[in-house]
Amino acid sequence: MAAAAERIASRATAGRRARAVAPLALVLPSFLLAAFVVLWPLWDLTQLATHSVSRFGQLRGFVGLDTFLDVFADADFRAALLRTGVWTVGVVGGTLLVSLPVALVLNEDFYGRGLARVIVMLPWAVSLTMTAVVWRWALNGESGLLNSALQAAGLIDGNVVWLASAATAFPIQIVIGILVSIPFTVTVFLGGLASVPDDLYEAAALEGAGAWQRFTTITWPLLRPFVTIATVLNVIYVFNSFPIIWVLTQGGPANSTDILVTHLYKLAFRVGRMGEAAAVSLVMFAILLAFTALYVRMVLRREA
Amino acid sequence: MRRKLVRSLVAWLVLAPLIVVILFPFAVMLVTALKPAQEVLSPNWWPSEVRLSNFVEMWQATGFGAALLNSVYVALLSTFVTLLVGIPAAYAAARLPFPGQGPYRQFLLVTQMLSPIVLVIGLFRVAAGFGLLDSVSAVGLIYAAFNTAFAVWMLQSYFATIPKDLEEAAWIEGAGWFRALTSVFLPLATPAMTVTAIFTFINAWNEFVIALTLLRSQGSYTLPIQIFSLVAGRYTVEWHHIMAATLLATLPVAVVFAWLQRYLVRGLALGAVK
Repeated sequence: MAAAAERIASRATAGRRARAVAPLALVLPSFLLAAFVVLWPLWDLTQLATHSVSRFGQLRGFVGLDTFLDVFADADFRAALLRTGVWTVGVVGGTLLVSLPVALVLNEDFYGRGLARVIVMLPWAVSLTMTAVVWRWALNGESGLLNSALQAAGLIDGNVVWLASAATAFPIQIVIGILVSIPFTVTVFLGGLASVPDDLYEAAALEGAGAWQRFTTITWPLLRPFVTIATVLNVIYVFNSFPIIWVLTQGGPANSTDILVTHLYKLAFRVGRMGEAAAVSLVMFAILLAFTALYVRMVLRREA
Repeated sequence: MRRKLVRSLVAWLVLAPLIVVILFPFAVMLVTALKPAQEVLSPNWWPSEVRLSNFVEMWQATGFGAALLNSVYVALLSTFVTLLVGIPAAYAAARLPFPGQGPYRQFLLVTQMLSPIVLVIGLFRVAAGFGLLDSVSAVGLIYAAFNTAFAVWMLQSYFATIPKDLEEAAWIEGAGWFRALTSVFLPLATPAMTVTAIFTFINAWNEFVIALTLLRSQGSYTLPIQIFSLVAGRYTVEWHHIMAATLLATLPVAVVFAWLQRYLVRGLALGAVK
């Protein structure tokens, strides 16, 4: 009798133990993979940034935060940091401004909506590298098809050498950045619009609300969380975005279109200043972390 | 009926400027890819004749086939590995509460936020330390790791919407835990797994900076790197070959994408934004 009860009890404990262990076993592979690829390099970057490093990447003495001080004293770094701000705000702001009306239009029922949606999503399917390569050719000063198209449309007179100076290259890069960020943003907004129940609009229409009123009282409040998520994800993508600037100008001419990612890439793989490049990486990591923390707090406050 | 016609006209008019800008690069690709070599540098839109043979020459001249194989391999590998580690983790996160779930989710959030470029120096050194420079498989595993966070978030929020009763009903009818999982739960979760797979595949297909840094020899280049290498730091750039190559690399993905984009809208509405 007692033995049977014991057996049942021990089976129950075994079951409990299995239930406690099973989820960990299921989660572990994903954790190990991500940890190996994220935490290890992060640790390595910390080592690089706090030690004196030879040209071949060997660690010498511990230097504490000296490398960071060197980095902040560097005018190229400060210029790239500032330009990263302009780049991020410009691309994300422009993307949101274009995407909202586009999503509202694509959410309406009209002839050819399926086709219009496919066209608007299209840049998403093309790799940034390919997009940038094609634009590099289209922007070519003598033979580029952008110049001939703009001349045919009567918008410019002579050929413009777009990529030769930052004054034209950087705004163009921002426009391309906006263009490739629109599909994802529109998709998020369309998802949000699809979640707005139709009967709300019907009720509002019965009450005699106009289109603008329906937008401000129904659509916008329900869409707000989607705007937040799109903003946050776009800031992260755009802040880290490398191919457009790298393929078009490699940060040139004379570092005048560098943002932090291209600046750090050159430091590491062109001039071999691994320590400083690692420090720039960690500064970027800190900025991203602060931004994410801010976002998480915003979300928590809204949920509370 | 007439109202819809008017609405359609307005909609297309509003979208027209954006559509022109979106289609412009495709037009550039197409026109340049079809031009005879000697007309490439003249900035006229219409070639005197259509040279389809550019595509054949391009295949040889750009090493397209080998790069295509590398791209397919790396994208399939990373999609497979992402799902392999992501599905169990998402299942556990959605169904079996475990100690440390909060920190685990935060850890995923951080990996989601860290794009490869921030870690590229560390990744380069770790890969070099293991003798994995130039290894296409290593690049595939790195992509898988960077996609895991998104996959787990996405799958978990979808898994949570599948009613538990369905699995429990299967248990009552005598199915084991594993049987219930494979014949009841996973089939219901197919849409989310499809969206996750497409995302991972496209991310891996398009990734630039890791491939640029870790793949050192032409035999291991993926398509974006191969095409970039034909443009960067060369005196003469064969633009008609390169545009033919970008067109060929772009069209299949664009077609598949166009076909699947409604699932993406639905999937994102269900998953990522919860």
